Amino acid sequence: MTRIKRGYIARKRRTKIRLFTSSFRGAHSRLTRTISQQKIKALVSANRDRDRKKRGFRGLWIHRINAIIGKNKKKQYNRYSNLLYNMYKGQWLLNHKIVAQMGILKGNCLLMIANEIIT
Amino acid sequence: MKMVNAFNMKRAAAGLRRINLDGLRWRVFDAKGQILGRLASQIATVVQGKDKPTYTPNRDDGDMCIVLNAKDVCVTGRKLTDKVYYWHTGQVLCLKHFSLNIDIMVYRYVGHLKERTFKDQMAKDPTEVIRKAVLRMLPRNKLRDDRDRKLRIFPSSEHPFGDRPLEPYVMPPRSVREMRPRERRAMVRAQKAEQQQQNTDGTKKGKKREAPEESA
Repeated sequence: MTRIKRGYIARKRRTKIRLFTSSFRGAHSRLTRTISQQKIKALVSANRDRDRKKRGFRGLWIHRINAIIGKNKKKQYNRYSNLLYNMYKGQWLLNHKIVAQMGILKGNCLLMIANEIIT
Repeated sequence: MKMVNAFNMKRAAAGLRRINLDGLRWRVFDAKGQILGRLASQIATVVQGKDKPTYTPNRDDGDMCIVLNAKDVCVTGRKLTDKVYYWHTGQVLCLKHFSLNIDIMVYRYVGHLKERTFKDQMAKDPTEVIRKAVLRMLPRNKLRDDRDRKLRIFPSSEHPFGDRPLEPYVMPPRSVREMRPRERRAMVRAQKAEQQQQNTDGTKKGKKREAPEESA
């Protein structure tokens, strides 16, 4: 068989991966083998965390709603659980994100609405 | 105690430059008659900023917490004598690394397990009691030290922050559980003993003459 050199096929493939990994720290952006590994790990994390992000933000919104509702001193209902129960009972269908934003921007509005729903 | 107060005052105004934002509120907690752990958990939530609607877990946005009357904080049960603070002393003096083998020899300053009861700690420095309680309730992350800097604890009601806009913190209502039967009986007995003492104080000489007759 005649001798065939591989040429730069492998190098072409690896430069694309290197571009992806160019801002990583230390050996993770310099050494060829670790670059391939780190790209795979990065993409796996990104995929997994796109779903985690949704969970995380929902938790943060719940936390914030609880914090605002806790300042509702007029009634005994100063908990997130009470607010949500009354929201569903009164068919006030808003998602957590909007309720949390309402709490930050117009806290008093939210408390007024919450009191009305509870009655 | 006066020495401790002077030291506290100097320390109190010291680290304020490091705290960035001053959109923070200054909340005042009165520890007089409060139970240590329950007070500390409320302080911990306020210092973390968890009662604000703009709470963000990666940013330290808690309010400045001033705790007054630290020497009047209470504990239930037998904790006054039985609660012990432990800590370990001793340090690594030098690490000797032998290159051929993987031996590492560690030379240490020898220390031991030290302990101090709650009572002694209160006598020595009552602010440390509350500080430890709150610090151990905060999450162990990079923000913990910053949150520590926001806590100012004073043994009595004097504090150098009189010119700031202070807001008193109202503790949430607490439901105390029913006394256990044995405790209740002990309390009833104590009340009866007090009543008898009051009666004897009222008519001292008369009772003294009557008592030996009753015993006889």
